[in-house]
Amino acid sequence: MEHEHHDMHKMKHEMKEHEMDEHHHETPVEDEEIRDWKKKMVGAWLFAIPIAVLMFSQRILQINIISEFTYTILFVLLGLPVLFVFGWSTIRGGMRGLFTFYFNMDSLIALGTLVAYFTGLFSLLFPIQDYSGVAAMIMAFFVTGKYVEALARGRASQEIKKLLELGAKKARILKGNKETEVDISEINIGDILIVKPGEKIPTDGIVIKGESSVDESMVTGESLPVEKKKGSNVIGATINQDGILYIKATKIGKDTFLAHIIKLVEEAQSEKVPIQVLADKITSIFVPTILVLALLTFGGWFYFSSNLSRAIAASVSVLVIACPCALGLATPTALMVGSGMGAKRGILIRKGEAIQTMREIKIIVFDKTGTITKGKPEVTNINSSVKENYLLEIAASLEKLSEHPIAKAIVEKAKLKRYREVKNFKTLRGRGVEGKVGKSDVVIGNRTLMNEKKISFKDFNNTIEKFESEGRTTMIVAENGKVIGVIAVADALKDDSVLAVASLNKQGYETIMITGDNEKTAKAIAKEAGISEVIANVLPEDKAKKVEELQKKAMVAFVGDGINDAPALKQSNVGIAMGTGTDIAIESGDIVLARGSLEGVVQAINLSKATFKKIKQNLFWAFAYNTIAIPLAVAGLLHPIVAEIAMALSSITVVTNANLLRRKKI
Amino acid sequence: MKKAKITIQGMHCASCASNIEKSLKKVSGVKNANVSLMMKKGYVECDNSVSDEDLKKAVERAGYRAVSIEKE
Repeated sequence: MEHEHHDMHKMKHEMKEHEMDEHHHETPVEDEEIRDWKKKMVGAWLFAIPIAVLMFSQRILQINIISEFTYTILFVLLGLPVLFVFGWSTIRGGMRGLFTFYFNMDSLIALGTLVAYFTGLFSLLFPIQDYSGVAAMIMAFFVTGKYVEALARGRASQEIKKLLELGAKKARILKGNKETEVDISEINIGDILIVKPGEKIPTDGIVIKGESSVDESMVTGESLPVEKKKGSNVIGATINQDGILYIKATKIGKDTFLAHIIKLVEEAQSEKVPIQVLADKITSIFVPTILVLALLTFGGWFYFSSNLSRAIAASVSVLVIACPCALGLATPTALMVGSGMGAKRGILIRKGEAIQTMREIKIIVFDKTGTITKGKPEVTNINSSVKENYLLEIAASLEKLSEHPIAKAIVEKAKLKRYREVKNFKTLRGRGVEGKVGKSDVVIGNRTLMNEKKISFKDFNNTIEKFESEGRTTMIVAENGKVIGVIAVADALKDDSVLAVASLNKQGYETIMITGDNEKTAKAIAKEAGISEVIANVLPEDKAKKVEELQKKAMVAFVGDGINDAPALKQSNVGIAMGTGTDIAIESGDIVLARGSLEGVVQAINLSKATFKKIKQNLFWAFAYNTIAIPLAVAGLLHPIVAEIAMALSSITVVTNANLLRRKKI
Repeated sequence: MKKAKITIQGMHCASCASNIEKSLKKVSGVKNANVSLMMKKGYVECDNSVSDEDLKKAVERAGYRAVSIEKE
């Protein structure tokens, strides 16, 4: 029995380890590929350089110390390892493709180099130009191109790789009074973890002791440190800055915030952007088409010029110049660089299509609560006939006993160390609260309550009306039957809402706020945020319908919180879902913001536009390259080696151009 | 219906990805397949009846290697 238990435990442990391991595999696969191409490149040139020297002296300098026959023998011998050792994987894969009808780029290179190489052997018997040296040069340039391309592709994914390696490796668990350092995979939900200053928070959790500020920029893109105290949620992989935090683990492994982000970013890489459909179609028939074209070129040249050697050279050029890679890499590399840049800033592109659609968006609709505003009422104004501290002390002592959000806002504002004693506390539904604070009878509530209690508030009437016209809820505070002040509470704007809206208005977007609030409150908030158009009194379930109506006019982006606004996010042309800091709305939203700030919306729009522009540029180059280069090769105007160099450069250009996206400020 | 993520080795060009996609889609029960050359991963949506072995074979048929398959 005990044995079985042990086994189970071991198995569980191993499974966990496997889950965690998964992300560590990524980098080596890529690095291995780069190392592999590098080895092949070095090896190939070891033999190709002598070939190049020989070719140069034979063809250009016309040195004839050794006979034509010896040259050919040398080319064939030196070319042998280049093709069949360092180029073997390409030749093998390519020939396999030719026989199984899964043609790929290797099929073209394999066929091109083999045909050229065998002319060398044939030339020993028949009067035919020897291209075996050329074959070796083509292969050497091909593996070099692949190496450079793999390097550039590695750079394209650098942000995403960083994200994969972001998680903490070790954690310090507190058991009883003992600290033990364990591997991250050994943490269980409910474990108490100690995080010292400068250390990574091992996993998602809640602070149970200690105070500190935490740098969350690597996960949410939030540039300022976030204050954490008892009860705060913390995100795994963020960095504790100054105090010691005791954290209870709430999420582990695949359920953490970071794991969700990684999953989103990873999955987005296989997303298709509509503009690439044509390129994909061409890619899928590219190789067979080129094979046919090479045959036609050979036939055509042989028929019209009766020169077998020229026919071979032209068709080899066609085979090696054609490369589906530029076309095939154009979109995914730009998308990868773009989504990596986004991930660094807490912007997660889920749907590739959103990048393309974003360009055509004219209207941006914002949900109010939690999107433009903080979603939590705060005290904004106080007006009193007594000392403000005294007013707050009395009000907070009484409101401490209430659960209402407005009451919480007042308590939060007062931040009392000690509360006064309260007796006979009573909640008056929809109107306010009352009770005995110390020796005073205190009533806090709206006008209805004051009228009910026959308390006159005419001295404050103007103030109350002013606050209300600004969209604030105003509480009247009365002590012993006399009003001593008013406290205005409002769901305040997020710090960067004004700036973000201004920047969108400047870019020419029509900004609209949608809310369930009444017209007056809504207008006041919208005005403060700089939004001129308001759709008020909308029930949550009707938001999608309103978006649909707007769509008759133009393409609409909707910015909302992802949970309540899911239908509207789906209905809109581009749905931008806002995170709330510790949770992430994965299912809704074409673009997800890890951080709940409107600045992210501006960045997401800029990033999408820049990425799409890059994709278009890349596709243009790829199409232009193939439409110019292939006819030149068919016409026999390109030497096979030049053709190969051009081919290698075409895909390197596309990947490098994608990497240049990073220069764009967003 | 299930989703599988396949880590693929040996892809180095755009036709490779497109070949594997084609081969995966030919497996009966596979609804959709997306192969990312950049991530070296294939994302497959398929019926529960499709086994890992079927997917592995499809990748191999196109001339590549499935290193690991994860399911959701």
